[in-house]
Amino acid sequence: MHKLIAVAKREFKAAAANKTFVVMTVLGPFLILAITVLPTLLNNDPKIASSGKPVAIYAEREDAGAFLASAFESQKIPSLRADDAARAKELVLSGEYAGLVEVPARWPDEEARYYSATGTDAALFGTSQGVLGALATELRVAEAGLSPEAAARLLSKPGFRVVKLGANMSEETKTDRDFMAVLFTALSFVMMIYMTVLLYGQMIGRSVVQEKTGKTVEVMLSSLSARDLMFGKILGLGLAGMLQYGVWMGMGVLMIKVVGPLFSLSLPAAVTVGNFGWLVFFFLLAFFLYAAGYAALGAAAEDEHHLGQLAWPLIIFLVLPMVMISTMIMNPQSPLVLGLSYFPMTAPIVMLVRILVSAPAWWEVAASVGAILLAILGVGFLGAKIFRVGILMTGKRPKIGEVLRWARLK
Amino acid sequence: MIDVQNVVKAYDSVKAVDGISFQAKPGEIFGLIGPNGAGKSTTIRMIMNIMAPDSGSIRLDGKPLAEKDKARIGYLPEERGLYKKMKVGDMLAFLAEIKGADRQACAARADEWLRRFDLLEWKGRKIEELSKGMAQKVQFIGTIAHDPDVLLFDEPFSGLDPVSQDLLLESMLELKAAGKTVLFSTHIMDHAERICERILLINKGKAVASGALADLKRRFGADAARVEYDGDGAFIERLPYVKSCRSFPRWTEVELDGPDAADSLYRDLAGKLRVRRFELLEPSLHSIFVRLVGGESEEADRA
Repeated sequence: MHKLIAVAKREFKAAAANKTFVVMTVLGPFLILAITVLPTLLNNDPKIASSGKPVAIYAEREDAGAFLASAFESQKIPSLRADDAARAKELVLSGEYAGLVEVPARWPDEEARYYSATGTDAALFGTSQGVLGALATELRVAEAGLSPEAAARLLSKPGFRVVKLGANMSEETKTDRDFMAVLFTALSFVMMIYMTVLLYGQMIGRSVVQEKTGKTVEVMLSSLSARDLMFGKILGLGLAGMLQYGVWMGMGVLMIKVVGPLFSLSLPAAVTVGNFGWLVFFFLLAFFLYAAGYAALGAAAEDEHHLGQLAWPLIIFLVLPMVMISTMIMNPQSPLVLGLSYFPMTAPIVMLVRILVSAPAWWEVAASVGAILLAILGVGFLGAKIFRVGILMTGKRPKIGEVLRWARLK
Repeated sequence: MIDVQNVVKAYDSVKAVDGISFQAKPGEIFGLIGPNGAGKSTTIRMIMNIMAPDSGSIRLDGKPLAEKDKARIGYLPEERGLYKKMKVGDMLAFLAEIKGADRQACAARADEWLRRFDLLEWKGRKIEELSKGMAQKVQFIGTIAHDPDVLLFDEPFSGLDPVSQDLLLESMLELKAAGKTVLFSTHIMDHAERICERILLINKGKAVASGALADLKRRFGADAARVEYDGDGAFIERLPYVKSCRSFPRWTEVELDGPDAADSLYRDLAGKLRVRRFELLEPSLHSIFVRLVGGESEEADRA
């Protein structure tokens, strides 16, 4: 056991005292920042995202012009009145103005126009469109001779509410923004697991291949067993991964517990300490599963290039849940998602998303975790056998059949 | 004691090792000698339990090699390799650690060897900064620093300059004097001649000759002589028992058709020339080997 730990210590140092690791660990918190604070900051204050340049209003109808100006002012969007439409367009093009709203004299029967240099400043033209729409409705209601009460009744939307049922019948109102927040958080979590599992998996695979290409394997095997070598590597790199996640989670929790309340930011609802806990938990499961797989492939591979070719089935299983992320969030109960949440290779990510979105029963989580644990045992066992034989094989590419035969050797 | 009995190992259809038996005892240096591809490395790997023999037995002190025995063996594989990114000192400490050896004692021994090999100032440098020969020496130190009883060196001299080779030979003699079992393989006969008591000559996986080096030489007899003389020695070549004759500036080497011919040569020379020196030459390990396996192994030797 102490030999295994010696290997783990060496691998940990080799992985952690390394530029990529430091850069990843330092950049990680920025990712956390991006998923926690940034969206709320942007939601709280649209000014952060705006350029600060004024929107020009050229209105041939005075009521529309005044209505637009006051609407912009109430939303803290700077605006000014233009007398010359052609000149205003030039200034839009040269970047003086953020945009130009042009309201013709025969509006609303004739269309109003919004000119901009990009055509993509949705916040500004959206506001303009909304303001003019409200004014037009008001004008037409007056034209039809309806009383203000009748008009209000006509225009009022019937109430509709989306409610998320929690475990003990707790109710929680959901909006579109919530859907986006969950999508955003789930995507970030899935990305993190995907990136780190892939990174650490490949590190293990490479580390094993390098034992062969660097000719260190015989010296190692003259001191310890192939099993100790393989699990030592997995443990060492696993610890490096945990250190990295530890730093990130620390930052995340700091955001939630300290920075959030301090600046009274409303963080996305799915960003909670509990969910961070699930993230680490499923990262570890995914890590050990893929690590054992990559170690076996590394032992079977001839060199790093060959390892890359052998590893594609693993990568497909990692990518699959990413591609399906919006399906998973919208239909967490669909048979496909349920199935994938029990299939060991995809379960760590899919079950994590299910936990973020819906509230799976405890036995569902337990079944998924059990399946992953069984798979880790199986892949670890198989991997150790392939490793035992494959680690010494150099110079010739083994065929799949040969690799499977190694696995059957006693 | 390492006891190898009738070991066979085949790769696909080629028998890499075919019924090899020998014993290496404590306090002696045993040489496993043969051309490239003779099966030396395969034999050593099987002793190290890195690969299993197809048949036959390998025992260490009467028992099959167990995982715990690895701690008392030092193995220098033919395929040398150290972790390139590690510092020399850390690498040696790590090698000692995975042997389960005492850290401090190992570090002290490693330092002592580094000093002897003139590498002490490189201790804090990374392996990748060392020259190939330096890395070889570091690996040799890593093999012996945990003070094992049994040492297996696979082609320990390859890639070393002559001075380092001598240093290594000297170190191996010291290990022998300390009562260690030293087994080494080489395809360079000269090294074996200088330090081995007993050898096993192998070719194409089969044993060709074995035993104490002195016995072997006696068995193959002194069948050459080196003579120094004044006068015209042109007739030597035509003597009936002389197989060949090579003249060097200061002496002539005469190959005879048997050990008994030496007496006749001495008598014939004494009558016709003024002999200043007459010396019987022991056959070199190389010539014994060439005689045993013929030209094919010479080709292999050159390859």
